[in-house]
Amino acid sequence: MSNTTRTIQVDYLARVEGEGSLTIRLDGDKATEVQLSIFEPPRFFEAFLRGRSFMEAPDITSRICGICPVAYLMSSCHALEDALGVHVGGSLRALRRLLYCGEWIESHALHVFLLHAPDFLGYPDAMSMAKQHGSWVKRGLRLKKAGNSLVALLGGREIHPVNVRVGGFYRAPTKSELGALLPELRWGLGAAAEALEWVATFDFPTFERDVEFVALQHPDEYPFCEGRLVSSRGLDIDVRDYDAHFVEEQAPYSSALRSRMVHAGGDRGTYLCGPLARFNLDFDQLLPEVQELARRVGLTPPCRNPFRMILVRLVEVAQAFADAIRIVESYVRPEASFVAAPVRAGTGFSVTEAPRGLLYNRFAFDDSGTILDAKIVPPTSQNQLSIEDDLLELAPLLASLPLAEATHRAEQAVRNYDPCISCATHFLTLKVERT
Amino acid sequence: MRARVIALGQPSAGDDGVGVAVLAALRARALPPDVELSHLSDATALVSLLDSQVPIILVDAVLACPAGQVVELGPDELASSEPLRMSSHGLGISEAIGLARALSDGGDVAPVRIVAITINRPERYGHGLSDEALAAVPVAAARVLSLLETDHA
Repeated sequence: MSNTTRTIQVDYLARVEGEGSLTIRLDGDKATEVQLSIFEPPRFFEAFLRGRSFMEAPDITSRICGICPVAYLMSSCHALEDALGVHVGGSLRALRRLLYCGEWIESHALHVFLLHAPDFLGYPDAMSMAKQHGSWVKRGLRLKKAGNSLVALLGGREIHPVNVRVGGFYRAPTKSELGALLPELRWGLGAAAEALEWVATFDFPTFERDVEFVALQHPDEYPFCEGRLVSSRGLDIDVRDYDAHFVEEQAPYSSALRSRMVHAGGDRGTYLCGPLARFNLDFDQLLPEVQELARRVGLTPPCRNPFRMILVRLVEVAQAFADAIRIVESYVRPEASFVAAPVRAGTGFSVTEAPRGLLYNRFAFDDSGTILDAKIVPPTSQNQLSIEDDLLELAPLLASLPLAEATHRAEQAVRNYDPCISCATHFLTLKVERT
Repeated sequence: MRARVIALGQPSAGDDGVGVAVLAALRARALPPDVELSHLSDATALVSLLDSQVPIILVDAVLACPAGQVVELGPDELASSEPLRMSSHGLGISEAIGLARALSDGGDVAPVRIVAITINRPERYGHGLSDEALAAVPVAAARVLSLLETDHA
């Protein structure tokens, strides 16, 4: 065994949303240090929400991310409604679910076909991949567009939707407006199933890590906005108890906070949220036809290989299309587009399932509806430590590879999580220090 | 269809919304027949439109000094003249055109011209254009009309 120490340094992560870098220090085949450094400047959303009206919170928080604004709209609305004692049910609840289906479809499709598939097929980017696999890239773009259409119709526009408010929507669509989307939704379900069969032929690195999976769980449906927080190691809590079980910390090398689980005052360690956690914890709530699609490609819970998250995302795309079709087919336009929410002082909590995982919101406001305090914990913050732990365990493999190949594998491992740091750009630069 | 005029940009990001303002100015004028005006919030949607072979004029903001100038670019000039993309996610214009070329048979896509207004980097979210951008809107609209009328699109 070599005694060589070397450093895998990636100065700028590519094909991820945002600005980050990666450093892995190897001593022989062991990683002595892994740092996923996020140098995206902090944007202080929690701070400048203070003093604003609670009615502004959904529109302000949706600007946190251009890829997943619906997740922020839903999380903020549910937290505010929790404080106000408002329940949104019936057709309005179904419309929220439909809007979230649209976001999952567009986010997952963009990631699978343009950002992550090139890794598995040996291409540096989607443009290179398009020359040999053009039909799949076109299909991916059409899938994304189908998701965009749902968000545009229900949200008022594709990016930073404007039609969502506390209690529901400013305007509910008509039955015929939704019905016009059905042909493309049905095409999307079939295309997602075919894409799943295609991606199942990829070469997946053999890698598993024993990690605690955490997700929302609902007795009747695959989770979006409602349910209890559960884990693969026995956690089962109301979302209002999030702060008692999860803490944030800041690493000196990263501008983003990151999360750990705690229990009875002690450190319970890292955890993983997102598609793989949902798949493992909520498989039985997938629609039956979607469960069958997963089984057909040999994907059943528990799945502990993060490289297979690309497959799980396609299962969730199929689930979102199937769910969307059911909602549209049974839709009855509500008489009122929102439930009235009389202002009162309070503190509200929510967790919803963004495409990348759990998004926690907590808001406190006074009896005039002025926000006193806000806490927002996005999924990528929560998965940072899990990403680093994956790389720690991948160290023996990385140590055995030539530098370029090691870099590629490390970046691919980061992209398993589709991290949303905000605004995808250029790639990793690897620096090797040999001692 | 004779041509498409497509505005890009976010009206809620100040001068980044200048393309939408040019579109509004064009709607107030008499356009040649069979010209479609539209706004895309995401340049990714350009990929399928480029496959249609209908000539496209893109109208957008570019970061450059001095602000308030109207420039006309070909797609291959864009990377060197636009140091930083203005969109928040998905593909940029250059990437969308590159991907459309990669997806097409023989690299053949719709002809594209870009009419852009130079702007300073927006410092905050907000509606409304700066004085320089406002002054450039009718000039940009006139340039677009000129392209449509001479079939240079």
